[in-house]
Amino acid sequence: MSPPRVAVALVEGDPSTYETRYVHDVYEQIASHFSATRYKPWPIISHFLSELPTGWVGLDSGTGNGKYLPLPAERPGAVWTVGLDRSLSLLETAKMAGGVTREVVWGDVLGKGWRRGAFDYAVSIATIHHLATPERRRLAVRRLLESVSSTHGRVLIYVWATEQDALSKRSIPSSRTDICVTEGQDVFVPWVLSPSMPPQPRKSRRQEGHQSKPAVGPDTSPVPARQKFSRYYHMFSEGELRRLVEYVANDLCLPIGRKEDHPVGTSGVEIVQSGWERSNYYIELRRWGL
Amino acid sequence: MVRLITHNLLACHAKGCTTNNFPLQIKDAQLALREAEFNPDFLRGFIPRIEWAALVSAARQLGDESLPNEVPEMIDDDFLRGLHHVLLEIHIDEGAMVCPNCGHVYPISSGIPNMLLAEHEIG
Ligand SMILES: [Zn+2]
Repeated sequence: MSPPRVAVALVEGDPSTYETRYVHDVYEQIASHFSATRYKPWPIISHFLSELPTGWVGLDSGTGNGKYLPLPAERPGAVWTVGLDRSLSLLETAKMAGGVTREVVWGDVLGKGWRRGAFDYAVSIATIHHLATPERRRLAVRRLLESVSSTHGRVLIYVWATEQDALSKRSIPSSRTDICVTEGQDVFVPWVLSPSMPPQPRKSRRQEGHQSKPAVGPDTSPVPARQKFSRYYHMFSEGELRRLVEYVANDLCLPIGRKEDHPVGTSGVEIVQSGWERSNYYIELRRWGL
Repeated sequence: MVRLITHNLLACHAKGCTTNNFPLQIKDAQLALREAEFNPDFLRGFIPRIEWAALVSAARQLGDESLPNEVPEMIDDDFLRGLHHVLLEIHIDEGAMVCPNCGHVYPISSGIPNMLLAEHEIG
């Protein structure tokens, strides 16, 4: 089978409606198939979770099928991760991730339904790249920084990169002359449901205002017995994720740097590491302060 | 699932609701008790993170009077087992959580709380 073609996407209209059509509704449809295929935790994420002190509580914002909820594998139950997602179908899987009852919450990564600073850590893995505007991506990062403790909260963010590794199954369009973005690239990634994996029935518990039809991508052709969906992604360019974090930290009046380099009594955020791994950019943050 | 460990973290985020928005009041709860693995090390680390008064009142709303009003100075095994039960073994499978400030209702269905807001409710 040839690699799935990735097509250039043009974000139009209300971004929330756009995401409902090209992200949320697609995941509702493909949830069972998606859950069957996504299971390997990426090394940097496993490492981040394995270093957390025992007794910490965290948020997995955009948990999907909950594959990070059972981690760290070598110390099961040492920390407690709550999974948040927009897809109820995925949460049905996440709530029993690893064969143990998990805590999951149906919600939006742009929401703030928590006590401020309630968590010791937050992870956002392969989620922020589904938000359709720079403002919404910034707000998602802001919500992560607000959800964790201002004295010691840790955050790990992972997003898709425009720089894809050679082994990746994705082929990325090289031309970007016809799209109007300052950074990164907006694309549609196809998802084909084979006949043996029928789409899940739609859930009836819908929020008002989200009644749009499930997404069929712009390049969908009527293939009998095989259903094709297009998911929207914003692929990040080099340095874009870091600049996003810097923008948000500045907005929150948090200087970026190490605690040791700042006066006693101030608070800020340290970029512990950032880089590229397996077709993704990541950044790890630590808040410090009073 | 909504157990009291999660309830202790949730707050109302409806537009303009920023004070007295925690803890959410539990309404019409259908409970289930499910055993969970006891992990005293996790609990010892977790205790300082708990909003204790909120946990005690939530447990009492669910008919569990076992928790003391204050965290005891001596944390012994009995206390940890009791805390384990309240935090991790009582499940609210159906019901709702209501904001004490603005009255917004967050439904719970099949153990999953719905914290989504409609577009006009987002602050
Ligand atoms: Zn409220």
